[in-house]
Amino acid sequence: MFSLLILAHPCHSLSLPDPEGALRFSLGGEVSVLNPILSTDSVSSAVEGAIFSGLVTVNEKLEMVPDLAERWAVSPDGKTWTFHLRKNVRWHDGVPFTAADVKFTFDSILNPKVNSVRRSDFIIDGKPIEFRVVDRHTVQALLPQPFAPFLINAGIGIIPKHLLADKDINRARFNRRPVGTGPFIFKEWRAGDRVTVERNSGYYLGKPLLKQIVYKEIPDANSRLVALEAGEIDEADIPPKDYTRMKAARGVNVYEYDALLYTYLGFNLANPKFADRRVRQALAYATDKKQLVGLIFRGLASPAYAPSAPVSWAYSDRVPKYDYDPEKARRLLKEAGKENLEFTILVNQGNKEREKAAVILQQQYKKVGVKVNVRVLEWSALLKIVNAPKDPKDFEAVIMGWSLGLDPDAYAIWHSSQYPKGFNFVKYKNPAADKLLEQGRTTIARNRRRAVYRRLWDLIAADQPYIFLWYPKIVTGVGERVGGLSKPGPAGLFLHLEKVYIRK
Amino acid sequence: MRKYFIKRLLQLIPLLIGISLISFFVMHLAPGDPTALFIDPNVRPEELARVRANWGLDQPVYIQYFLWLKNACLLDFGQSYTTGQPVIYEIAQRLPVTLLLMVPAFLITLLITIPVGVISAVRKGSWFDNTVTFLSFTGMAMPTFWLGLMLMLLFSVKLHWFPAVGNLILPLLTMTLGNLAGLTRYQRSAMLEVLGQDFIRAARAKGLPERVVIFKHALRNALIPIVTILGLSLPDLFGGAFIIETIFAWPGMGRLGVQSIFQRDYPVIMGIVMFSALLIVIANLLADLGYSLVDPRIRYGKE
Repeated sequence: MFSLLILAHPCHSLSLPDPEGALRFSLGGEVSVLNPILSTDSVSSAVEGAIFSGLVTVNEKLEMVPDLAERWAVSPDGKTWTFHLRKNVRWHDGVPFTAADVKFTFDSILNPKVNSVRRSDFIIDGKPIEFRVVDRHTVQALLPQPFAPFLINAGIGIIPKHLLADKDINRARFNRRPVGTGPFIFKEWRAGDRVTVERNSGYYLGKPLLKQIVYKEIPDANSRLVALEAGEIDEADIPPKDYTRMKAARGVNVYEYDALLYTYLGFNLANPKFADRRVRQALAYATDKKQLVGLIFRGLASPAYAPSAPVSWAYSDRVPKYDYDPEKARRLLKEAGKENLEFTILVNQGNKEREKAAVILQQQYKKVGVKVNVRVLEWSALLKIVNAPKDPKDFEAVIMGWSLGLDPDAYAIWHSSQYPKGFNFVKYKNPAADKLLEQGRTTIARNRRRAVYRRLWDLIAADQPYIFLWYPKIVTGVGERVGGLSKPGPAGLFLHLEKVYIRK
Repeated sequence: MRKYFIKRLLQLIPLLIGISLISFFVMHLAPGDPTALFIDPNVRPEELARVRANWGLDQPVYIQYFLWLKNACLLDFGQSYTTGQPVIYEIAQRLPVTLLLMVPAFLITLLITIPVGVISAVRKGSWFDNTVTFLSFTGMAMPTFWLGLMLMLLFSVKLHWFPAVGNLILPLLTMTLGNLAGLTRYQRSAMLEVLGQDFIRAARAKGLPERVVIFKHALRNALIPIVTILGLSLPDLFGGAFIIETIFAWPGMGRLGVQSIFQRDYPVIMGIVMFSALLIVIANLLADLGYSLVDPRIRYGKE
């Protein structure tokens, strides 16, 4: 009888959500501003996700699905997008949500006086997208020309017109006590400490199971893990070095999943050392990516070969891979007349994985007779050298990473027009690649775009302006008492916050 | 005396302007600016330039400085670039949190340091003195971040006595232990130095009880160097402690300061610099005042 009780109790407790449940997230930095059109950091975005909602959102497969817009249509010429909004949606203060709020949000982003960096997303070839209210529940976006990433950009959180219309959005008190349409209502913000939100019982996708969410700011990674182990928080990211320890920790479930990220070694192609493609290819052959990933991540990352990520629908691994072959590397260097190559790799201070990678590459390249110096710089100092080297000799190579958007468009990184103004700081220039990049962003049909990007990845991989190093995995620890997580994937574990619960 | 202090206060004005001038230009010498830190391939450079211009960062630095100075004279320190809120508001949010940690730490340190340092000096070479010396050196050798994490592992993970983050006890303990080590040594040597002086020998020769010699004659003199140190550490009370605040997720001034530097949030950096500068000069003034309290020979304003 007694043993039966013991057995019965945990089973019972695992099944029921606690109606009073409070989830405690940890944030690695400080929330700066709670307004989706202004925030530029992932920490603020994480909190905004609970409070605000957009026209569309993303599902576990990274497909666009309805949110505030219950459906949408695009005209055959790809220039007019019509969004049919959900009816009966209310702002957290009770005011009905309408098409005017949608137009207001996008017009504010486009307003030059508003410090929103998202303005770029809504200007195509120098012309802004026009937003039009058709009726109370219908909005149209008129694009100057077809632009495939538009739908994803349209997923930005919508802000209330009635609270911000006559305000200076940059400085509004609203940004400290926001009002949205999302599953949780803002309650309290203690600067540098925590943000608390509470259940929105009238949420249009159903009443959230959690009563409250606390976003606790814990800047130190070690402290976050201690707090997770001690049960003070329910969720924390786990760095590779702590993986084994946290896997063994009691009361914590560890999830690993792929993300839209890659890390690379980029070369300054304007520097005479790297102008010859054979030199870059030789270094690619000299890079033992498996060893690199094994030593740094112990399996929590995989070797990268293309400027996309395996979780992206546009990914292809049918690209030149330059599998580790020091013999070939030496031969190519000799052909290019660069047997005594010596260069400096820049890395940003504080990123342990990249610092380790630079040292390992130093050893690997030594085997083919290439001498590497490693220079660790503070982030801003590094960016300054990479973005505008006074002398091309200042910047030879750099280890950095890209966090990829949901859309595969990579125009800003690889198009030759994106230097000196843009992110093509390696100065990659290939007319065929330029053409594919232009084609990729103006084609709407996904299967045709996929073909374009596969050709592009193949071209870039052949040129090796970057040596693609690895795809890191995201490792997250979540307390056992938390239920209702989404399938682990690049969209994270908490895709449907209203369905997350604490076990009773 | 009053005239002296008014004069000292007036001297602060050119001093503070000088500090602001140097800080402003040094700050702009650091590479990068608040928008350069933001790299997202989907954000076009002209948009970053527009935001920079909205902030007035497209103007020459000296014009930016004069605009800043003009507003600062009206006590308007501008808005933070990252939060859009007034700098004064940002500082006001952090200050009480910082004081909540720093003031008790400061008082506890004083309460322990002075008696322990004095006893150590008076009983030089005793087991008490040796133990204190050993503990002080151990304490000084331990880096704060390590000590903090160890205390956290012990009291939060193993014993479950206190929460690891957001609780006052552990950061207070770390802070106090760190301060104690150095200051106790300091008090001890100050006391030892005084005890070796002629007037102490004279007091003893007069046949005064040892208690009077120690507390009335020696201690009062041995407090002078401590007052200097305390005066100098007064700004720390308001400036916070970055490492401890980071480890224990304590949202104080230290974190605000370091973060604003990393983010190149110029208005916040300047606000904190000016606030700290003001505190340092005032603290020095108070320390001078403190000397005349502990040492009657020190008098100001009389030639």
